Amino acid sequence: MIKYIFRRILLLIPILLGVTVIVFGIMFLTPGDAAILMLGENAPPAELEALRERLGLNEPAYVQYGIWMARVVQLDFGRSIRSGRPVTGEIVARLPATVELALLATLLSIAIGVPLGVLSATRPNTVVDHTATVLAFGGLAMPVFWQGLIMILLFALVLDWLPPSGKLGGWQYYVLPTITLGTSAIAAITRMTRATMLETLSQDYVRTARSKGVRERSITYRHALRNAMIPIVTVIGLQFGALLSGAVITETIFSWPGIGLLAIDSIRAKDFPVVQGVVMMFALMYAFVNLVTDILYAYLDPRLKTRYS
Amino acid sequence: MRRVLLMIAAVAFAFGGAHAFTLTVAQGSDIVSLSPHKTNDQPSARVMRQIYDTLVIQTEELVLEAGLAESWEQVDATTWDFFIRPGVAFHNGDTLMGSDVKFTLDRLRDPATAAPGAFLVGFIDEITLVDDMTVRITTNGPFVPILSHLAHTATSILNERAVTEAGEDYGTSVVVGTGPFSFVSWQVANQIILDRNDAWWYGDVGPERVIFRAITEGTVRAIELEAGAIDIAYNLEPRDALRARQNPNITMAEIEALTTAYIGFNAQKEPFDDVRVRQAINHAVDAETIVDVIFEGFGFAANSPISSMVFGANTDLEPYEYDPERARQLLADAGLGSGFSTTLWTNNNPLRIQIAEIVQAQLGEIGISVDVQVLEWSTYLNDTAAGAHDMFILGWVTVTADADYGLYALFHSSNFGSAGNRTFWSSDRVDELLDLGRRESDPELRQAYYFEAQEIIRDEAPWIFLNTQIEAHATRSNVTGFVPHPAGHNRLYNVQKN
Repeated sequence: MIKYIFRRILLLIPILLGVTVIVFGIMFLTPGDAAILMLGENAPPAELEALRERLGLNEPAYVQYGIWMARVVQLDFGRSIRSGRPVTGEIVARLPATVELALLATLLSIAIGVPLGVLSATRPNTVVDHTATVLAFGGLAMPVFWQGLIMILLFALVLDWLPPSGKLGGWQYYVLPTITLGTSAIAAITRMTRATMLETLSQDYVRTARSKGVRERSITYRHALRNAMIPIVTVIGLQFGALLSGAVITETIFSWPGIGLLAIDSIRAKDFPVVQGVVMMFALMYAFVNLVTDILYAYLDPRLKTRYS
Repeated sequence: MRRVLLMIAAVAFAFGGAHAFTLTVAQGSDIVSLSPHKTNDQPSARVMRQIYDTLVIQTEELVLEAGLAESWEQVDATTWDFFIRPGVAFHNGDTLMGSDVKFTLDRLRDPATAAPGAFLVGFIDEITLVDDMTVRITTNGPFVPILSHLAHTATSILNERAVTEAGEDYGTSVVVGTGPFSFVSWQVANQIILDRNDAWWYGDVGPERVIFRAITEGTVRAIELEAGAIDIAYNLEPRDALRARQNPNITMAEIEALTTAYIGFNAQKEPFDDVRVRQAINHAVDAETIVDVIFEGFGFAANSPISSMVFGANTDLEPYEYDPERARQLLADAGLGSGFSTTLWTNNNPLRIQIAEIVQAQLGEIGISVDVQVLEWSTYLNDTAAGAHDMFILGWVTVTADADYGLYALFHSSNFGSAGNRTFWSSDRVDELLDLGRRESDPELRQAYYFEAQEIIRDEAPWIFLNTQIEAHATRSNVTGFVPHPAGHNRLYNVQKN
């Protein structure tokens, strides 16, 4: 088991290295002079030159990358151009709001998606199944910003049940962003659950169980669903990763103070140290969630455990 | 929930607390800092305006009145004495002293502070204390607009002890001013809370608490106001503002801003070194139509290089008539009857790109083939400052509402390049008039100098005047006393809620 986890972690290293090259490229490929971006166009030439020297901007690209990596390994992304505060601090301050929202949206999508998928699979080609399918495709097809705005219009303005945006304390502020963010994940999980359940329900051991006289309920949940879990867990893991980094649009619409909004604000302000930090953070979270998903496999599928023991 | 709130409100009213209300204001962006020495952006200035005072106050009517300086006296052409108001208390209990003023302005202009607003006090040569409550400012040349500069939020007066003790934390967790509201908290990207300063030297303050919210999406900001979740929304986008105008629960507070937008020519480059070519293009561009199409009624065609709100703006200036025939004639006179090819630069700003495309079509009509090029902002600024361009679109905000700020940087020959004059056009007479304007203390004479300068600029046509913009702020209809400020940092002390 330890060996399995260790191998997974080792695999992360080349992936993250690849990400750093891309993220470094953001600064390198941004047109214009980074020193001027930082100090303003009216800065005296001597100061600009001193900053270029300090940041290593006069060195060749691979040397710059080396200098940058040495700092990134210590989680130092430099300081924000806009606020002058350390990038890492800004990200850490904004991270909880994003994680909170992604977790809630994931829980919501599991709570709705899995039962809905099971329901569809156990009653294939019925009204229930077709309704679930239409809902799922609708959820996948709706653009997030459109859905968010429509929900704000409906629930905040027309019905006046919930506050339109913000995170000012109170559960009411969580409802609309969670649903908006979770919708596509609900759809994805529903579809995946339906597909894998249909497959397992046609397996021999299910037929055997039925012929033994096991109750249908028990067949569905104890026998079939457990065996269908691996692909479903994969989708949930991928969805959680996507929700963490995909909160950009939802956070912008709902003025949710997470790192997605930070990313948008920083891109608008050309605050590239923050953009680099946020993108690195998204990659790290994605990789971490995938790692946890891989480890979960081993629990769900004992064959994986024995292969590495 | 609503019923509970109503009950609370009713109880508060019954016990005479009718004036204890919270005012929630939303703007499109979070603040950067609450230290006027760390930023010079509008969202931050709008909050700082409530927390700090300046030596001089510029009212909503753009009248200059006494602020933390009770009075002032011009000793000679380059020396000014400011008499500091006695008995003014900072939010931390300290009493305002002349030393705080000297400390603030010296820190602002110190290159080590690297304050984005330092250019506003670039005219200062030296600051000395005549006595505890008298600050003497020596300027590095005659500089009459000094008072409007000292009314800008970037020159807000800080508490020396608070700034020194807080160090790096000043402006984020520690903020101390003398203004109508004191700082309570700043939840990043979310909200800023300010409480009433009952001891404000200026007078009574209306709201007991002010909450500034950052609501990025313009449409959501409008919906928040329609739903009554906020009391005031700043800068509605044209489409939302048109809808809000129809809503009986919303009162619009629209104001002409101090902005100006223009297309500049590189007047040292062929063929734009020929005044006839510049005039021809002015006749060929229908600014009126452009502004109507792009701004949907929230902007209007400009007839002068500065907004009509600015002191010294020549509002009677006759703009170039849209007359393609005349334009062709002028081009023919300049020996370019068969037209020519050129480029028009803009940065990646959707409105500017749209403007550029319409201008491209209109100039095509008179045989000028225009290639619109969209440049990244810092490259754009660099290359226009270096004179690599033909034509370019840019804007300017005359933050001090004084013609000197709006004309000196953009048209004086000493400011070629990054200092502001990116057309590299100059005229000896305009240079002379702008210098006179800095020196002359009689407002009528100053105005006459600026009027003449603007006439020459119109005739010589280094620019196409495009438009000034209207800022569409809006309040719930139960909000009274909100008067928008042309410079954008609206004061809220006088606002009431019924």
